[in-house]
Amino acid sequence: MVQIDLAAIPVRQANEQIREYGAQGEDIDIVNPDARHHIGVGLTAAVTVRVHGSAGYFCAGLTDAANFEIESNAGWGLGDNMYSGSVVVGGNASAIAGVAIRGAEIVIRGNMGSRAGQVMKAGTLLCGGNANFMAGYMMYGGRIIILGDSGERVGEDMAGGEIYVGGKIQSLGSDAKLGDCGGAEIDDIRAFLERYKISYSGGFQKIVNEGKKLHYKTAETQMRSLPFVAFSGKSDYWNPKIQEDIHIKSQIGRYRVRGYGGARELPHLSDIAFAQDLTRLNQISDPVSKVEMHTLIGAKHGATPLDLSMPVMIAPMSYGALSRSTKQAVGMASTLAGIAENTGEGGMSDAQRGAAKQLIFQCLGGRLGWNIHDMKRANGLEIYISQGAKPGFGGLLLAKKVTKELAEIRGIPQGIDLRSPSRHPDILGGDDLLIKVEEFREATGYKLPISVKLGAGRIRDDIKIAYKDGFDFVELDGMQGSTGAGGAEVMEYVGIPTISAIMDALDGLADIDAVGDMQIILMGGLRDGVDAVKSLCLGADAVAFGNATIVAGGCISCMQCHVGQCVTGIATQDPEHEARYRPEIEAHNIHRFLESVRWQIAALTHALGYDNVKSLNRGDLVALTPEAAAISRLPYRPELRQRAALVAAV
Amino acid sequence: MCGIAGIMFKNGRTDHETGVALIDMLDGCQHRGPDSTGFALYGEEHESELKLRFLVGDGAGADESVALIKSALDSHDADIVEDHRVGNTYQALVTFDGDLRSFAYAMEHAAPEAKVISIGRSLDIIKDVGSAHEVDDRFHVHKFKGSHGLGHVRLATESDVRPESAHPFWATGFSDVAIVHNGQITNYWKMRRRLEQRDFEFHTDNDSELVAVYLADKMAHGGALREALKSSIEDLDGTFSFLVSTHDEIGYAKDRLAAKPMVMYEDDDLIVIASEEVSLNRLFPGRALNTKEPPPGSYDTWSKST
Repeated sequence: MVQIDLAAIPVRQANEQIREYGAQGEDIDIVNPDARHHIGVGLTAAVTVRVHGSAGYFCAGLTDAANFEIESNAGWGLGDNMYSGSVVVGGNASAIAGVAIRGAEIVIRGNMGSRAGQVMKAGTLLCGGNANFMAGYMMYGGRIIILGDSGERVGEDMAGGEIYVGGKIQSLGSDAKLGDCGGAEIDDIRAFLERYKISYSGGFQKIVNEGKKLHYKTAETQMRSLPFVAFSGKSDYWNPKIQEDIHIKSQIGRYRVRGYGGARELPHLSDIAFAQDLTRLNQISDPVSKVEMHTLIGAKHGATPLDLSMPVMIAPMSYGALSRSTKQAVGMASTLAGIAENTGEGGMSDAQRGAAKQLIFQCLGGRLGWNIHDMKRANGLEIYISQGAKPGFGGLLLAKKVTKELAEIRGIPQGIDLRSPSRHPDILGGDDLLIKVEEFREATGYKLPISVKLGAGRIRDDIKIAYKDGFDFVELDGMQGSTGAGGAEVMEYVGIPTISAIMDALDGLADIDAVGDMQIILMGGLRDGVDAVKSLCLGADAVAFGNATIVAGGCISCMQCHVGQCVTGIATQDPEHEARYRPEIEAHNIHRFLESVRWQIAALTHALGYDNVKSLNRGDLVALTPEAAAISRLPYRPELRQRAALVAAV
Repeated sequence: MCGIAGIMFKNGRTDHETGVALIDMLDGCQHRGPDSTGFALYGEEHESELKLRFLVGDGAGADESVALIKSALDSHDADIVEDHRVGNTYQALVTFDGDLRSFAYAMEHAAPEAKVISIGRSLDIIKDVGSAHEVDDRFHVHKFKGSHGLGHVRLATESDVRPESAHPFWATGFSDVAIVHNGQITNYWKMRRRLEQRDFEFHTDNDSELVAVYLADKMAHGGALREALKSSIEDLDGTFSFLVSTHDEIGYAKDRLAAKPMVMYEDDDLIVIASEEVSLNRLFPGRALNTKEPPPGSYDTWSKST
């Protein structure tokens, strides 16, 4: 047994020692903890850590197998995302104790704060005293035992699991009900209490999910689908899109859910052109050898950066929305092209990890598939705040896609319409976010770049928070971005256009004198290397392609991604449909598309007179429409609309 | 986007190391807000005198502002007992026994480039950009002895990083009332318009100034601080944890969603409240404290005389 004195060394150094001692199988005593944050974060060894005093935020967070004993109190997020092992708290625990746990045992001898067990998937959370309000908020599984009073709205929007209350139930949350309780499950609780030497002889009431909100009341009927061209609605007022929309709503009686991207005409990169006439572009021979495109992303705070052969990444897309084979193909293509892939929501599969040489692991509010082991084998971590296609909403995966296998990875009940939480349990402001970012750094030894994904909304404010909270880069997503499923009106009316997003971001950074000091990856409906170069000229450090890679890999744009019956095997979890998708072949198709992007970026950069993509700048651009000019503040040159289309040249 | 802290010594004496305690607590939660730091400090009460602190900046404009303030004080029959320039502020102790609200508004308009930071018989607010220790270096907060006080560290999001946007906020027009706040009031404009219709002035667009004026107004109508806090939970929308202080009381209120943290420790000698326990532990190093977390939608007050 060894002792670590937190009055003598900082938590970061202490955590390194804890992991080293843990690897040697040594138990650890922490003295003078004085409620400091992040104690023991990221520990994955079966040793005992005794905290002699109070612990701050995220004590025992992102751990697996270790046992923690905290003499006094614990701050927010006790045992965050623990897989196995245990935590025993002698005093009280603050808000969101046991958040997102996937199997650990957490015992709090005193009271626990609000939203305990939020989005937990498995394991036991026991409170010897009273719970504060919304215990079991959005829990997917596992059990919460409260020996005292329940607090208000207990079990609010729980999807699975059980909550046992010994004292008074103050009020039940939405979609929670009292269930029958007795026999083996109570014996099991008594055995659990005995194991932790807690004497309790009273009875229990049990709270379970009522099942009223797990599914849409009416399923989305699949109708004869419209091709995107008709759907984008450029024709007359009561066009086919509007008719389809009304037909479907007349069947389901609610807002529509659909996949694919926005279809509304919006100011976009195509409304921006290059000031110079570049139509003789094809005469450039081998531009790729003439232009430096190598880009490092995320080195700002000393992490190992992503090493991109060109300023391009793959946008986050989930395993869930897409099939495993599709994620594998995209990963292989990213490796062939020398760029980075992103897991999106829903965890990291071995196939994907094996295929992608550089892989960013995305963390969302539901913590579906999030875990310390995959964090450690990622090349970057990303906190999702929102996405361009549906800012303010979480992921949406309809029941057909929530298969047994997928539900296991995510730790949720099979076959529900999964509406992922739109908020993180432990990020309610820039102040909490900063502590969260620090937790990720502690868990992964400060080696990985940490980014934030912002769906375009109040970017001018948000990017300042991102900067101040110490992120390494920002992934900025405009409303032309696509999604596997989203409310139809949301997709077309809620976000802000991609070119507005980048302008707002740069304005925000200018407000705090930080332009050039925060890398921005721009995404949201980028279609080719021309869009990429325009984005770089506007001020992005790199771009990301999502939907374009899916189309390159065989998507037929039928816009039925949400249904789960994708005929190409891309947006489905049905093995029969997925069998139609051939990852090796599609990986090469996607890779060839990415090489076309590389050629276009090089050719345009060369034609604009530069030998490095970092030289691209706003002076190279003009706006073709009044809207684009107003948004981008570029010179308005309507006469250039007549010029031959550049895409034809490259 | 902030960290808050408050302390009150219970024996009513004004010789406690309030400044040192607040610096320690704010240093403990500086990670919650590195942009600016502020203190509301309550020392000895001056019977017929008022302490005023103005933000005047530095440079030539500051001299002009001070001259204008002095002439405004003179024309409102406020006689300067003593005055100083400290950092970017001008501090004056004056004798005054007229109507405070109209006096305060007149002072706010005394010089176009200056802003009133606080007015009180015992209150003094010190706030500026930088960390707790940086602000202390400029204003010598550690030398301050008193009975109680509040502190705040700020991460600026929507408004700029400027000294006047820092907390604490004085309840403009009400002697000795100050507030520190972590959160966001979502019915800000509605509440502000209601108060403006009754001729209240606001000098920032910061929702914390609104909370201060709202509470002070309730108390000016004869309500106790407790009552004002109780109605604030009904009237204010949003996520908030705030601390409020008067010349002899300190209190807190927390919204019904408990989205912003707050933890407190109380013993026979003092009550301390902060965003995080790590701040409380700064006052009691090496000790496990028997702390309490206030429930959602709750409020409480403590008085220095009890």
